[in-house]
Amino acid sequence: MQSKPIALTILDIISIIVLGVAAYLSLFFAPTEAVMGQVQRVFYFHVGTAWVGLLGFILAAAAGIAYLVTKNMAWDRFEVAAVEVSTMFFFITIVLGSIWARPAWNTWWTWDPRLTTAAVTELIYIAYFMLRQGIDDPEKRARFGAVYTLLGGLSAPITFMVIRLFRTIHPVVIGSASAEAQGGFDMTSDMKVAFFFALFAFTVIFIDLMWNRIRLGQLEESVEQLKLNVAI
Amino acid sequence: MKTSSPSLLKATLAIVRKDLAAEFRSFEMISAMLVFSLLVIIIFNFALELDIKTRQSVTAGVLWTTFAFAGTLGLNRSMSVEKDRGCMDGLLLAPVDRSAIYFGKAISNLTFMLVVEAIILPVYSMLYNVNLFRIDLVGVILLGSIGYTAVGTLLSTMSAQTRTREILLPILLFPVAIPVLLAAVKASGGLLTGAEFSEILTPLNILIVYDVIFIAVAFMVFDFVVEE
Amino acid sequence: MFLETMPDTSAYMIAGFGISFAVMGIYVLSMYLRNTNLKRDAEMLKSLQAENEKSKAKPKPNKKK
Repeated sequence: MQSKPIALTILDIISIIVLGVAAYLSLFFAPTEAVMGQVQRVFYFHVGTAWVGLLGFILAAAAGIAYLVTKNMAWDRFEVAAVEVSTMFFFITIVLGSIWARPAWNTWWTWDPRLTTAAVTELIYIAYFMLRQGIDDPEKRARFGAVYTLLGGLSAPITFMVIRLFRTIHPVVIGSASAEAQGGFDMTSDMKVAFFFALFAFTVIFIDLMWNRIRLGQLEESVEQLKLNVAI
Repeated sequence: MKTSSPSLLKATLAIVRKDLAAEFRSFEMISAMLVFSLLVIIIFNFALELDIKTRQSVTAGVLWTTFAFAGTLGLNRSMSVEKDRGCMDGLLLAPVDRSAIYFGKAISNLTFMLVVEAIILPVYSMLYNVNLFRIDLVGVILLGSIGYTAVGTLLSTMSAQTRTREILLPILLFPVAIPVLLAAVKASGGLLTGAEFSEILTPLNILIVYDVIFIAVAFMVFDFVVEE
Repeated sequence: MFLETMPDTSAYMIAGFGISFAVMGIYVLSMYLRNTNLKRDAEMLKSLQAENEKSKAKPKPNKKK
């Protein structure tokens, strides 16, 4: 295993800095929202993590296809990294959404399309890890994982559509038409700064975590290879 | 080469015939699915207090939950049988297109599910005095079952090759099958409560889209889940 | 202001940010731990491998790890 590249170390440091700046911007720089109060500040992190979660989800499905076409294990490591990092970010998104929903809509959870699709995606990810855990052969594990991310990538958008359909027919009592409720406040220019910076910051952090996770995957593989060598 | 590798259709039908012949000799799987479904319906009766008012609105949900659970039972069984008796290797060695194996297994799984549904529907109608004998409802159930078995056959082929096997299938299948189950519940619920056709049209479209997409994808990737 | 008093939702906000940082921290920590464990494994396996090669050259009863 080669030692850590300098570029990655620099990126690590940059990630910590932008995370700090994003936290400062959303906690202190952005004005307090008039209707929801302080809790609205989690909005910046909520959208930021949701964006990178979605990015990871799409990248994972794309990496799955790339693996099936090329059979190159590098794509498998990329896919695992994308799924794992995306799982973590979606988890934060869901928790933040829930924390926001409590004071804003007076409930911890609404069966809103976005929230529900994020939760279903999280379940798909858990299933993905359980699937991988049950297979010993690395090549087969990669193949099955790729197929499953592909299926998940196709089914999640349809889930979103179906749930939205449900919602439009059955009116929601609390936080009606959450799409409006979510964008329900006008962003001032300071809010926009915090908002776009959070998007940028989480993208940087996402890339950094992905890179680290891919390197961890390489290490995992070399250890597995060493184990085989020793066993022989 | 025509004699050595039969056409896709012929090979598919041969696999279906083999599965059906094996099943209709013992009725092992269908009877298990059927008894299980009846038990689920009975449990739902007490869990949901299915009085006349709630019956209208929850029938579709109860039916599809039952079908989905019974479906996983059948899917698990039909693949692990192939695996345990080493039949899968035989099938893979046969000089047929791999997709014939997929379509063959999918069609026989679908047949088992439809047989169970064909028995459950009249029983449910009788027990709860709801008329389920409607051609449009049968169409929705057919579309939903097609989508469910299309994904289920692919995923059960995968789960049969893992260490956790039977436990894994519902965990893999349900999150991916949510759209087809929700759309099917929505469409059948609309039919049963006498909604207008325009309301049923959208879930119906989603069902069709789901079926087409997932049959196509499963057909394309099936090679990857059976190669050794 | 025509609005009623703004609800005090700071507790929710603190919980939200706290959880976000905690989850990210735990994830980074887990990656760090996995990394050190794997590196230790790699070292151990490498030394085992070297030992094996030695014992192959000069057959000797294998030492337990």
